[in-house]
Amino acid sequence: MTAEQPGTQGREVADLSITDVSKTFRARGVSTVALASVTLKVAHGSFVAIIGASGCGKSTLLRLAAGLEEPDSGEVLVRNEPPRTFRARGELGIAFQDPALLSWRTVRRNIALPFQILGRPVAAHRQRIDELIELVGLRGYGDALPGQLSGGMRQRVAIARALVTNPSVLLLDEPFGALDQILRRSMNLELQRIWMASPTTALMVTHSIDEAAFLADQVVVMQAAPGRISDVIAVPFPRPRAPALFAAPEFHAVCDQLAAALERCGAS
Amino acid sequence: MKREQWITAAGVLATLMLWEVTGRIFPGVRDLIATPSLIVAQYRSDAALYLPHILSTVRSATFGFVIGNGIAIIAAILFCRFPALEYAFHGVNIALFAMPAIVVGPVLAIILSGNLPQIVLSALVVYFPTMSAALVGLRDIDPRLPDIVRTYGGDSNAILRFVRLRSAMPAILAGLRAAAPLSVLGAILGEFGSGVRWGLGSFLLGSLGEADPARLLGIGFAATAVALVGYGIFAWVGRRVTGSTAAVTIAADRSPDEISFASQSSWLRHVALLVAAVLMPFLLWWLILRISHISAIIAPGPLETLRYLLTGPESSDARAALWSALGETLPVAGLGLVFGILAAFLFAALTVIRPAAAAVIMPAAMLLQSMPLIALIPLVLLLFGRDTTASVVISVLVVFFPAFVLLAQGFALVPRAARELVQLYGGGRSKELRLVSVPYSAPYVFAAAKLVAPRALLGVMVAEWLLSGRGLGNLLNSSRGLLDYDRVWAGAVISILIAVLAYEAISLIERMIQKTQ
Repeated sequence: MTAEQPGTQGREVADLSITDVSKTFRARGVSTVALASVTLKVAHGSFVAIIGASGCGKSTLLRLAAGLEEPDSGEVLVRNEPPRTFRARGELGIAFQDPALLSWRTVRRNIALPFQILGRPVAAHRQRIDELIELVGLRGYGDALPGQLSGGMRQRVAIARALVTNPSVLLLDEPFGALDQILRRSMNLELQRIWMASPTTALMVTHSIDEAAFLADQVVVMQAAPGRISDVIAVPFPRPRAPALFAAPEFHAVCDQLAAALERCGAS
Repeated sequence: MKREQWITAAGVLATLMLWEVTGRIFPGVRDLIATPSLIVAQYRSDAALYLPHILSTVRSATFGFVIGNGIAIIAAILFCRFPALEYAFHGVNIALFAMPAIVVGPVLAIILSGNLPQIVLSALVVYFPTMSAALVGLRDIDPRLPDIVRTYGGDSNAILRFVRLRSAMPAILAGLRAAAPLSVLGAILGEFGSGVRWGLGSFLLGSLGEADPARLLGIGFAATAVALVGYGIFAWVGRRVTGSTAAVTIAADRSPDEISFASQSSWLRHVALLVAAVLMPFLLWWLILRISHISAIIAPGPLETLRYLLTGPESSDARAALWSALGETLPVAGLGLVFGILAAFLFAALTVIRPAAAAVIMPAAMLLQSMPLIALIPLVLLLFGRDTTASVVISVLVVFFPAFVLLAQGFALVPRAARELVQLYGGGRSKELRLVSVPYSAPYVFAAAKLVAPRALLGVMVAEWLLSGRGLGNLLNSSRGLLDYDRVWAGAVISILIAVLAYEAISLIERMIQKTQ
C-alpha cells in the first residue's frame, strides 16, 4: 500500500519506506503476530498519523522505523538507509507518551542529551537549545528540574529534545496520550507550528481521532490480530490549521470517516 | 524532627528513666541489668580502654566497608551489563548473603594475619546488600530511556553512562546505608575468630567472664552507637543527594529465573549456567588457595575437605561431631525463625488495626534492625543466662525486627480501594484484616523468611560461641582453639551450605505459591 502526499511537496521521495514487514513476538510460549506483511511509504515532508485498536502493531511499526526492533522479514529504510546507520547521524527524533526525562538533569541538559550521546560538543549548540526552549514555550525554565514541572511542560521538554538535532524524520508514539483534552489541543497547535517551522517528516501514533485528523496529511488505519493496514485516508485541510477547525463540519466529516474505518476493522 | 521521631525520642527517654528509677528502688534489678547512671560511671572509668578498642574496630570496619562496597558496585555493573555473569555467580552471591559470618572468621584467621581477617570478613558481609541494591537500581530504569539513547546511536555502554549509573545512585546509597552497620558487625565477628587484642569484639569476649552488667551493657551500647553512626552518615548523604529516605529494607536477591535473559536463552545454556552457578563457589575456594600458595595442611581445598568428611581416617569422628552439633543448632534456629516471623506478622497486623501504633513502632524497629546483633548478647546473657533459652531469645530477636519492618511494609501496600470496600459494606478493621490485608500480605511472609533465615542461624551460632558452648558455633570455636584446621573448614563449609539450602528452599516454596496465585 502506498501512502503518497499529493501536490504540495513536489517530487515524491519516500523518507520512510517499510516494505512487506512482518514481526512476531513470543512471550511465555505465546506468539503474537504484531505485524503481518505491512507496507507503508511516508513521503518527504509529510505528516502521517497511525490510528488503530490497541495491539494492532502501530507502536511496533514506529519502533521498527527507529531501529529499536528488527523485522522478522521485509525491509525498513529511512532515506534509503537502514535505521541503525541513519540514526547514528542524529537525523532521527523520537518522543513517547511518557516524557522519559532524566530526573537529575535540568531542562537544558535534558534537551542537550542527544548531542552528548552522539559525541558532539554541547557548547556549539547552546543557541539551538535556547531556541527550542523558547519554541516549546518554556522560557525561564531552562534550569528547572523535571520534578518541578507539570506533566504538560515535561512533555514539551521531550518534544524539544526530539527536535534538537534538527532531525529529518520525527517519530512520535502517542506523545500527548497522557495529557487532558485541553492541554492536548494546545500541544497539537504547538506541534503543528514547530513542524511547519522546520522541514521534517513526521510519523505519529495516536489513539485520538481528533488529533489524527487535525495534524496529519494522511491517516493510516490499522487493525489487530494480525496487525496490518486496513485504510489510508487523506486529510485535505490547508495549513496552518486553526483551532476553529475542531468545530468545522468538514472536520467532523473526516472524523466520522475515520471512526467508520476503525469500526469496519473491528476496533471500536 | 517529625512528630513520630519526637514520640520515639520521648519513648527512649522514658525507658531510660524507668530503668534508672526501678534500678535504684530494687537492688535485684540493679544487680541484674545495672542502671543507666552506673553504665555511664563505668564508661568514665573504662574511657582509656574504649578508645583503642573502638578505633581498632572502626578501622577494620572502614577498610572492609570501602573494599567490600567497591567490589559490590563493580560486580553490580558487570552483572547488569552481562546478565549471564550474574547467573554464573548466583551461587557465590547467595553464599555471601546467607553465610553465618561468624564461621568465616576462624577460616580467615587461619589464612590471614593481623587485622586482615576482620577487614576481609567486614568486606564479605557488606558485599551482598550493596551489590543487590545497586543491581536493582541499575536495572530498574524507565524502559523508555534506553530507547532514547539508542535513537541517537548509543549502545549499552552509553545507556550505562547516561542513564543507569546516575539512576542507581539512590539505590546504591540505600545499600551503603544498610552496609555501614554490617561492616561493624563483620569486624567484630572477625575479632572473635582471630583472637586479636583490640576491638569491641575482643573487649566483649574478655568481659563476658566477669559478668559485670554495667560494663557488658556499656560495650553493647558502644557497638550499637558505632554502627548507628555509620548508618546515620549514609542516611544523611542519601538525603542530601536524593532528597528522600526511601527504600529501607534491602530486598533479598531475585532468583535468576526471574531475569528475562534466562527465558530467552536455550535450554543447554540454561543448564550450563546452573552448573556454573553451583560450582563457582568451590572453584573460587580452590583458586584462591592455589594462587596464595597456602599449605594444604592449614587450608584444605574442596576435595581435601570432602575427603576429610567422607573417606579420611577421622571421617566418622568428624561426621559424628558435626551431626550432633547440627542437631543442637538447627532446631534452635528453626524455632527462632518461626517464632520471630510469627511475632513480626502479629505486630505488623496490629499496625493495620491501630495505625497510630505503627507510627511509633516503625522508627524504633528500623533503628533496631540496624543494630549489630552482637549488642544484644550482653542483655540476653544478663536476663536469660547462658542456656539454650538465651540462644532462642537471640534468634527470635534478630529475626523479629527486620521481619516486622518488611511485613509492615507489605501490609501498607494493600490497595486502599480494597480495604475501603470492606468498610463500605460496614466491615470493621478486624474484618478488613481477615478478608483483605492478611491474604494480600501473606506472600511477604516468604520474602521476610528468605531475608531473615540466615540471620536466625547466625544469631544462634553467635550465642553458642559466646554463651552456651554448644552446637555448631561452639564446634567452630573449640576446633579453632584445638588448631583442628580440617574441622574448622568442614564446619564452616557445612554451615554455609545449610544456610544456602535453607534460602533456596524458601525461595522454591515462594515461587510455587506465586505460581498458584
